[in-house]
Amino acid sequence: MIKLKGMYDSMLRCIISEDMDAGDFSKEFDEVRGKGQRFLPGAKVVLDFGARPLSGELIGGIMSSLVWPSGIYVVAWITYDAATQDLLKRIGLPTREPEPSVRAAEYAKSGMLFLQRSLRSGQRVDHAGDVIIAGHVNDGAEILAAGHVVVLGRLNGLVHAGCNGDETASVVARSMEALQVRIGTKIGSLDRDERWWGKMVIVRVNEGSVFIDYWPAIKSENREEGIG
Amino acid sequence: MTARVIVVTSGKGGVGKTTTTANIATALAQMGNKVVAIDGDVGLRNLDVIMGLENRIVYTLIDALDGACRISQTLIRDKRVENLFMIPTAQSRTKDAVTAEQMIEVCAELRQEFDYVLVDSPAGIEAGFRNSAAGADEALVVTTPEVSAVRDADRIIGLLESMEKSPIRLIVNRIRPSMVKKGEMLSVSDVREILAVELIGIVPDDESVVTSSNKGEPLVLSQDPPAARAFRNIASRITGKDVPFMNLDQRDSGGFLGRIMRVITGQ
Repeated sequence: MIKLKGMYDSMLRCIISEDMDAGDFSKEFDEVRGKGQRFLPGAKVVLDFGARPLSGELIGGIMSSLVWPSGIYVVAWITYDAATQDLLKRIGLPTREPEPSVRAAEYAKSGMLFLQRSLRSGQRVDHAGDVIIAGHVNDGAEILAAGHVVVLGRLNGLVHAGCNGDETASVVARSMEALQVRIGTKIGSLDRDERWWGKMVIVRVNEGSVFIDYWPAIKSENREEGIG
Repeated sequence: MTARVIVVTSGKGGVGKTTTTANIATALAQMGNKVVAIDGDVGLRNLDVIMGLENRIVYTLIDALDGACRISQTLIRDKRVENLFMIPTAQSRTKDAVTAEQMIEVCAELRQEFDYVLVDSPAGIEAGFRNSAAGADEALVVTTPEVSAVRDADRIIGLLESMEKSPIRLIVNRIRPSMVKKGEMLSVSDVREILAVELIGIVPDDESVVTSSNKGEPLVLSQDPPAARAFRNIASRITGKDVPFMNLDQRDSGGFLGRIMRVITGQ
């Protein structure tokens, strides 16, 4: 089955289900073209194949049954299959997730905001760039940043990184104590009993989901814990 | 005489602002200071009841602001403690009855006559709170060791900082050492770490607070439970004395007096 979804910068994402039989491609593409004949011509589209491997022949088939007849402009061919990625690169097709243009434009204007204080409940930082807080972000405080957010203290409040839809943004906290983190259009939630609670973490979006991971420990920290 | 004007506030309701105001005002007066406590909670007045002065109200703060009387006529002298006064507010009006400018004027007038002016602020962050704080130099923020109260206290501290009140000091009310020990309640050090302001007092949870409020007799007047001592210690600290914190940890207590031990503040 094929789904069309809206993205930032008025791009469309065409998600081709991994479990759909390759033999159905042509029929499904016909259906997509039929439904989208009014908005597809000239539209910027990300083709997302998930982990599906694509052969050269199949790529050719997609070109002739979808790309050329529909008049779309393909900004990226996304697949997690390494061999397919390699093949696409060799043909010269774009395989990188496109970055929102707002980010580049707004970064040039606003750059980074460095705040050397804590944010108390009810205080809000709204910045069209990256934000670094050299303090705590208390419960009830909010940070909205178009770019990345780094909290050098305790993160209790709400952080929305990449708030204009940029899902390449990340959130780094020295002590992660927030129940929710937002990146781009995604929301990640955390429970107090999870192992990341109170730890130094990085939160990112990967494959459309919010992922949390420990910030890599430096050697001296490893020694203290008797790991390294 | 130039009084220090202190607003007692919290953000969240029901954490003990009015009880704290009544007890600290009484304790400061017992130490020989001339003190007035102003009820800043227009429309939901309580300070008069807790101080046991409700039957002596003739004029309220609002009457004075409306020009029906002078500020000095609204002062109710407490007969039990010399130099303790209270200014009641109106129950039949709303927070709109007072403006920030009026509160600044009232505080400026009272400054000439008193050592300490305590303003009992209403809960919330709206006009009522802002007006109560308008005339004050310093602030006492009351919180209980609950996540919601601490978050609201944090909000209030942020607002007080932006209003340039200084110092802003913290009172942690209704602490239960046994619950803290079991990990069921935030500890004082948890609260301090979050709020990052100077701690001026820790008041243990005490049933006698309820009975004294109902009787209209501030705890520090006649009784000597740990909560009364805590309020007295806060009053002493306000006057600049270095009073050690009580140890509320009952594990090591040896009888009644053993419960009153010193120094736990988390540091």
